Amino acid sequence: MKASRALLFLLLTAALASPALADGPAIGAPAPTFDLKTLDGKPFSLADASKSNKAVVLMFIATKCPVSNAYNDRMRDIANEYGKKGILFVGINSNNTEPESEVRSHATEHGFAFTIVKDPGNKVADLYNAQHTPEIFIVGPDGKLIYHGRIDENQQEPAKVASPDLKNALNEILAGQPVAKAETKAFGCSIKRV
Amino acid sequence: MRNGSKSESRNPKWRAAAAALLFVGLAAAPAFAADPPRLAGELDAKGLADAVARNHGKVVLVNFWATWCVPCREEYSDLIRLEKTYRDRGVAVLGVSIDFAKDLPKVEKFLAANHPEFPNYMKRSGGDDQDFIDSVDKKWGGELPFTVLYARDGTKARVLSGKQTYASFEKAVTELLR
Repeated sequence: MKASRALLFLLLTAALASPALADGPAIGAPAPTFDLKTLDGKPFSLADASKSNKAVVLMFIATKCPVSNAYNDRMRDIANEYGKKGILFVGINSNNTEPESEVRSHATEHGFAFTIVKDPGNKVADLYNAQHTPEIFIVGPDGKLIYHGRIDENQQEPAKVASPDLKNALNEILAGQPVAKAETKAFGCSIKRV
Repeated sequence: MRNGSKSESRNPKWRAAAAALLFVGLAAAPAFAADPPRLAGELDAKGLADAVARNHGKVVLVNFWATWCVPCREEYSDLIRLEKTYRDRGVAVLGVSIDFAKDLPKVEKFLAANHPEFPNYMKRSGGDDQDFIDSVDKKWGGELPFTVLYARDGTKARVLSGKQTYASFEKAVTELLR
């Protein structure tokens, strides 16, 4: 009887605790901090990185997802362009199905010059409730979430993009303006948590 | 002339036109009569709504899949079995490939290998992908496989996200047949 009460208590506690984790940070709320190693073996701290950059762009990426791969060139080009303007880009691979060696060779193949971290056990993906690849979060110097969503609306035809949401947000951040469209709907492959 | 023909055949525009004609030809073909099975055509948000509406009076199961999606391929045989079992009881199954246009040959190869007896479409490429995704389900983020069930009156009744078993497909369908 005692054992079943204890179990009930544990279940209730878990049920009460889970919504906050499941929701992910809201726009304007503190972005969860994390510390991971980059593919180069260097330490990466979001708390430190956000303080020393105009913004940090977290990009949940994949090696095998065709949707994420359709954005490889765009991610590379945006990171190169805005990296020169004080924005730090971090690719996060949370897919349990994609080992670090594969993430490294994929980055080389596609000319990714931005920082990339592997997220063992999807811990960072869970902190942000990231569900898709690609999925973008922008963190400001104050550590708060500024933008969450997609890169743009057109997966297959970069030349026909009509709503470059990530670039728009970055331009507004660099101009010292609030991001007008701070939340868009990320779409793509599911992050492989098993 | 011969040289001209050669250069035309090498011209990407002519190749694109030939591919488009081929695709239109495939789209115009009967959905079931062809052997091996062919694509029923491309569709956008309106095309999907029309395809569902054409099956008014039936329970309609729309399955979104892609050749690169392993769980999609794994559950596909269950959809084929389900459609065969329930087609005479008022169930229609529609497949929608989310593969990119460049992967049309892979889609056709998959259909030829699996022989579905229900129509399969490809999502029309270009445009606002989010419009299409939202038209299917506001909570959908494009992850695959994804299945939507419509009741006999055409209203959306249920969504099934992720890989399903035959039993879960069957349960969802039979609940709507009652």
